[in-house]
Formats: sequence, C-alpha cells, structure tokens
Amino acid sequence: MGLFDVFKKKGIVISAPMTGRCVSIKSVSDPTFSEEILGKGVAIMPEDGRVYAPAGGVITTIFSTGHAVGMTTDDGVELLIHVGIDTVALKGEGFHIIAKEEQKVKKGDLLIEADLEKIKAAGYDVITPIVVCNTAEYSEILGYTDIEVNAGDEILDVKK
Amino acid sequence: MKEFKYTIKDELGIHARPAGLLVKLVTPFQSKITVDTGAKQADAKKIMALMGAGAKKGTVVTCRAEGPDEEEASAALKKFFEENL
Repeated sequence: MGLFDVFKKKGIVISAPMTGRCVSIKSVSDPTFSEEILGKGVAIMPEDGRVYAPAGGVITTIFSTGHAVGMTTDDGVELLIHVGIDTVALKGEGFHIIAKEEQKVKKGDLLIEADLEKIKAAGYDVITPIVVCNTAEYSEILGYTDIEVNAGDEILDVKK
Repeated sequence: MKEFKYTIKDELGIHARPAGLLVKLVTPFQSKITVDTGAKQADAKKIMALMGAGAKKGTVVTCRAEGPDEEEASAALKKFFEENL
C-alpha cells in the first residue's frame, strides 16, 4: 500500500453472502461468469449453504428454483448471487428459498439455504459467483480474492 | 417499431446465462429493445431486468425494437430466441 492510498476514497462496500474461500471470478468453469458476461465480481467456494444479503437493499429477482438471487442495494448496485454452476437444472432440488421478491432486506438477512452436500452429490460445482450486473455504471470494481471469508466480510469495493 | 412474439421452448427459460448472452447481443444496437412477458416488460440491455421478467417454458414474450437499427436488432434478437430459447 502506497502512502497516498490512505487518501483514496473507498467505494460502495459489498460483503460476502456466504462463508468460504473468496476467489477470482476467472476461476469459475462457466464462461458466462469467467468472461464477465454478467458483469464483474468474485466467487465464493462455500463451506456453508446459507446465503445472506451482502448489503441492504431490495430483492429484485428470486428464481423459483432457488439457485440464484438478484438484488438492488440501497446504493443502486445490482447484484446477482448464483449458487453453483448449472444448478438451474436442479429445478429447486437442494435449495430452500427464504426471501421473497420485492422484499426489503438488511445486510445479513438469510435469503436462501442451499444443501451443499446434496448439490455436490448430484454432480454440480457449488462455487458461487457474486457479480455486479450493472458493471457499466461503475469506474472500478475491486474484489478481495484468495482469502477465507465469513459471511458479512467485505469482498467487493465498487467505485462510482 | 419492429415487433415479434415468441413462445419460450427452453425447459429453463431466461435464466442467468441466456440473459447475459442476450444483453451482450443487443447492447451494440442503438435501438431501444424490450422483452415483454405480459407480466413484466424488461429492457433487453439490463441483465437484472431480463432475469426478473420471469420468462419460463411456455411464456409468450413480445420483443420490440425501436430506433435507427430496429430492423437488424429485431432480426438478431429473433435468431437468438430461435437458437437458444
């Protein structure tokens, strides 16, 4: 960290929705995520299936299959949390939806409970990308990768 | 304005991957492009809006393009739906 970094303004903070290891989005096997087609972000290799709100905001989309949730934070960041890869094909099996569409949430509210063992047993990768869908509206999106995180720890710094 | 209707045949509907690919396809066009599921009208250049529109197998979507390149945009969109959804 350079001397002047102290004066750099921090952007909008997005926290980890799950506990596990936070890694680069580029390491996700699905090109939809690794090529950032859905936006910039990070991925968490989860140790626990509980998915919490990574910031305060409103739930915009909750797939009926429970494998992914979209929300708009109070700061306007559109986030997609996609539990596992190709898990849409499980059609809800292994996922328990708690949040509802248009529900207002606080950081840390429980949104989805995923049965990671069941999903893995069905042959799916449980790595969970967290992406900023409105990436084009920001100048920079920094991810804190290659670290172990607890749900609620900072993982993204989104700059206007 | 160009408009066409399409019935979703894909088992999984417009989920994250097709939404991302669709946005990538239509973003270069200048025209305003929307995908209307009857329940919700989504801006086809916004991933979250598309995913939130709730297009599932059997949903009839109305796609509209309006602007200087609406012909090309509508043709590209139609091709995308036929090949992917």
